[in-house]
Amino acid sequence: MSSNPGKFWIWLILIGLLLSTQFIGSYTPWLVNYPTEWVIPLTGILNAMMNWLVETTGWLFRGLSDILAIPVSVVQQVLQWVPWPVIVVLGGVASWAASGWKLALFSTLALLYMVFVGYWPESMNSLSLVLISVPLAIVTGFGFGVWGFRSKRAENIIMPALDMLQTIPAFAYLLPILLLFGFGPVVGLIASLLFAFPPMVRNTILGLKSVQAEIIESGLMSGATPRQLFWQVRIPTAARQLLLGVNQTTMAAVSMVIIASIIGGTADIGWEVLSRIRKAQFGESILAGVVIALLAMVIDRITYGFAGQESKEQSSETGPLHRHRYLLIAIVSSVTLFILSSFIPALREWPEAWVVYPADGMNRWLENFILNWSEAIGTIKTIAFFYIMLPVKVGLVDTISPYSWGFEFTPALKLMYGLAVLVVAGLAWFRQRKSLSLVILFFAILFYFGLTKLSWLMLITMASYMAFQLGGRTLAIGTLLSLLFLLLTGIWPQAMLSVYLCGIAVVISFLVGGFIGVLASEIEAVSRIIRPINDTLQTMPLFVILIPFVMIFKIGEFSALLAIVAYAIVPAIRYTEHGLRNLPADVLEASTSMGCTRWQLLTQVKLPLALPIIMLGLNQTIMYAIAMLVIAALVGTNGLGQQVYIGLGDGDFGIGIVAGIGMAIIAMVADRFTQGWSASRQKAFSGND
Amino acid sequence: MKFKHLVLGLAVSTMANSSVFAANGSSDPIKIAINEWTGQHISAHIAGQLLQKAGFNIEYVTAGAVPQFAAIAQGNLHLQPEVWDNNVGDIYPKAVESGEIVKVGELGLQPKEGWMYPSYMKEKCPSLPDASALVECAQVFAAPETFPKGRLITYPADWGTRSKDLVENAGLPLQPIAGGSEGAMIAELKAAYAAKEPALMMFWAPHWLHAELDMDWIELPAAHPNCDSEPEHGFDPGKTGDCGFPQASIGKVVWKDFGSKWPGALKLIEAMSIDNDTQNTLMLEVDNNKRDLDEVVTEWVNSNESLWQPWVAAAQ
Repeated sequence: MSSNPGKFWIWLILIGLLLSTQFIGSYTPWLVNYPTEWVIPLTGILNAMMNWLVETTGWLFRGLSDILAIPVSVVQQVLQWVPWPVIVVLGGVASWAASGWKLALFSTLALLYMVFVGYWPESMNSLSLVLISVPLAIVTGFGFGVWGFRSKRAENIIMPALDMLQTIPAFAYLLPILLLFGFGPVVGLIASLLFAFPPMVRNTILGLKSVQAEIIESGLMSGATPRQLFWQVRIPTAARQLLLGVNQTTMAAVSMVIIASIIGGTADIGWEVLSRIRKAQFGESILAGVVIALLAMVIDRITYGFAGQESKEQSSETGPLHRHRYLLIAIVSSVTLFILSSFIPALREWPEAWVVYPADGMNRWLENFILNWSEAIGTIKTIAFFYIMLPVKVGLVDTISPYSWGFEFTPALKLMYGLAVLVVAGLAWFRQRKSLSLVILFFAILFYFGLTKLSWLMLITMASYMAFQLGGRTLAIGTLLSLLFLLLTGIWPQAMLSVYLCGIAVVISFLVGGFIGVLASEIEAVSRIIRPINDTLQTMPLFVILIPFVMIFKIGEFSALLAIVAYAIVPAIRYTEHGLRNLPADVLEASTSMGCTRWQLLTQVKLPLALPIIMLGLNQTIMYAIAMLVIAALVGTNGLGQQVYIGLGDGDFGIGIVAGIGMAIIAMVADRFTQGWSASRQKAFSGND
Repeated sequence: MKFKHLVLGLAVSTMANSSVFAANGSSDPIKIAINEWTGQHISAHIAGQLLQKAGFNIEYVTAGAVPQFAAIAQGNLHLQPEVWDNNVGDIYPKAVESGEIVKVGELGLQPKEGWMYPSYMKEKCPSLPDASALVECAQVFAAPETFPKGRLITYPADWGTRSKDLVENAGLPLQPIAGGSEGAMIAELKAAYAAKEPALMMFWAPHWLHAELDMDWIELPAAHPNCDSEPEHGFDPGKTGDCGFPQASIGKVVWKDFGSKWPGALKLIEAMSIDNDTQNTLMLEVDNNKRDLDEVVTEWVNSNESLWQPWVAAAQ
């Protein structure tokens, strides 16, 4: 935005207007706080619509629910009936076939963990839900994907709908599903379906689109009918992308297992985790949470392995015995174990006396940790609270007091603050860093008044103008309408609380995660340590980390912040490392031969080149942070996440879904902004060459 | 691992009809809701075992505390013997009002709600448990972020805002902080107890936590039905809405057609009553002595036949 001098002055005027609005605001409060009388009672309208829908079409959904309940209970009973060694062996063989002995070993150990810790039946109940929801999600996703591929108009409807489905927190649509489909495991199935099918749609459209024209032409020339062209040319060519879709859909379905358990009716591992968390049993909840993480990792690696090897499979020209060796091993060992298990009861049901359950030790460890470190932790927390969180939330005006900073924020000090800001911003301007000076001014105002007390009118104006610069008129209008939704439905204050918490979390995650990512790309050992930690953080049900955080950091926004960071830091690390590791080798070689030091190579060659991927990491960090908001509300926050629970607890569909859409809106605006910014940076970067 | 045992047994299995009585009502299984905490498990299993004695088939189904009301309204669940009206949102009173679910009286538990503190706080603030301690010792209960006010953990926002209202109405030097969830509240108390740190929290009894941690209650002014209009009740004779909390009610809740399908079972449930002592004793066995829940309940049923015999007889 610095390139055009006109834009600089517009921004300066906007910032000046913001500052004056804040001061005028004490006389005309409506400029700062949106009056509640102007709120449109959308929740009531939504509730009325929902009631009407349930009354008129309820029978249809109930019928569907009854039909879907049949395969769920059949699969559940089959998995409970098959002796555990058979499933362990089948998992091992499938892993072997998918990728090799290493994965086979991992899967076998993972499945054995579920047996030894004594969570086998619950794990199988969860697995049965996944086994039903995944094929349904794949078929649904494939169908929509083909439709979106065939018709441009359909794609224009499908894409934003997918965005909504993936960003509205699942909690917000649990209640409508419950009202429509009735109580039971089917609710979880539908919730998991809604969340899991979008990746399949995206990958189907992408895969079908990227089939090269020459392949289609050669298909046409050999006289293929449209049907043949589709099933025998397009689909096989797009197979890899489709399988990637299958993989992502499966992972999404597994991650919903825990959410589905909130409804109940399944006695699965998710229910076990929730019960443990309700009792704040740290060790027990971790032991159960690990089951879900392992389940997700095993399924991920197996489907990913099959997706990767699809092409080389066809080339192997060997005998039928060799080609079907995995199937043969699977059949022979299953039958043997079946027979054995009818003689050895421990193979049917793992004896309770043999269960290894180290929860007590884990709990004692945590208690000792708290005892030894409570003072140091308290100090860190106080510093973060008084010097970062409170200023962003309510501003220095309300933060500085003898109790917090040790002195009063006197008018003289306020004047000094203003002068200091002007000097720093002026210096930046003087050095031709015009956009930097604008950023300094804006954040100085933000820190002074606090995000939750900035004028809605000016924030919306500035965001829309920013959108116009980043993405043109379409993005500006979209942003304006989205933010107006937050305002008119009356959730603006909660939305700002969410933005405040997410904003700090994203900054911390991106800085710390980026730093770790750089380290991991430079030092192999760091990479090797960090990878399994990332895997666990991503697949472990997020609830589980709340308990230790609360025990260490107490109820409140600080714990919530850390919980969000723990989850949102993963993409920041991953994308940074990935971006830095996958750079064109010739550029790096050229730089080294020109005599770059390692530091120069990193800061002047690698980081600028990897910027687009690092920006994608920032984008994902924001998405993850917003997704974590609802869960973080369980340790006491006041933003949109809490609204979702209020909706759930009151049986008020409207409140919950409006808050859910609010979160989706924040996520989508942030997504478009970072994408637009990344694109403009890339243009500037390649323009400089 | 007792909970594990429980879910295993109850997940799908329907108990066999082994009773000497013939049931007065349908032989379809009565589906009993199982929530996430031990006290409710005990009430549900006592109800379940007694219903079996009266010749009914039963089935236990896990259900979340909020979704269960939709399930009972739709007839997917039939009985929930222990519903607390204090920690569910409006969904419960709304469903009762609309007649979709039916409350068949109180369970008999005498619940208590209020602000509690770990007993070791008495040393740091001798005027406890008197309510004057809230003013005198506010700084003892303070955390850096609430100083000089005391830090009060309230119920999660979706359970209502009674503590916050009381603090505001009575003008107490406390800063209410929403607890987020039951798990978070318990985690905070466990950690505070381990480090002998101050804690002040809105909580309730009976709850298994009281068996594990020694907690005392602040003696808040008595509740009064006209507290919101008559200033003479409560903390300050000049203010309204500054009284302690009225007693919560714990009801036995059934599906609206429960009585017509299993008339005998309804009689039994109406007669059934469980007191605090019973639940506390059984909870202690299960949670602290790590015993199997079903076994503990069976033991209680076997040794208290004189108590429940009339209830089962009512079912005939």
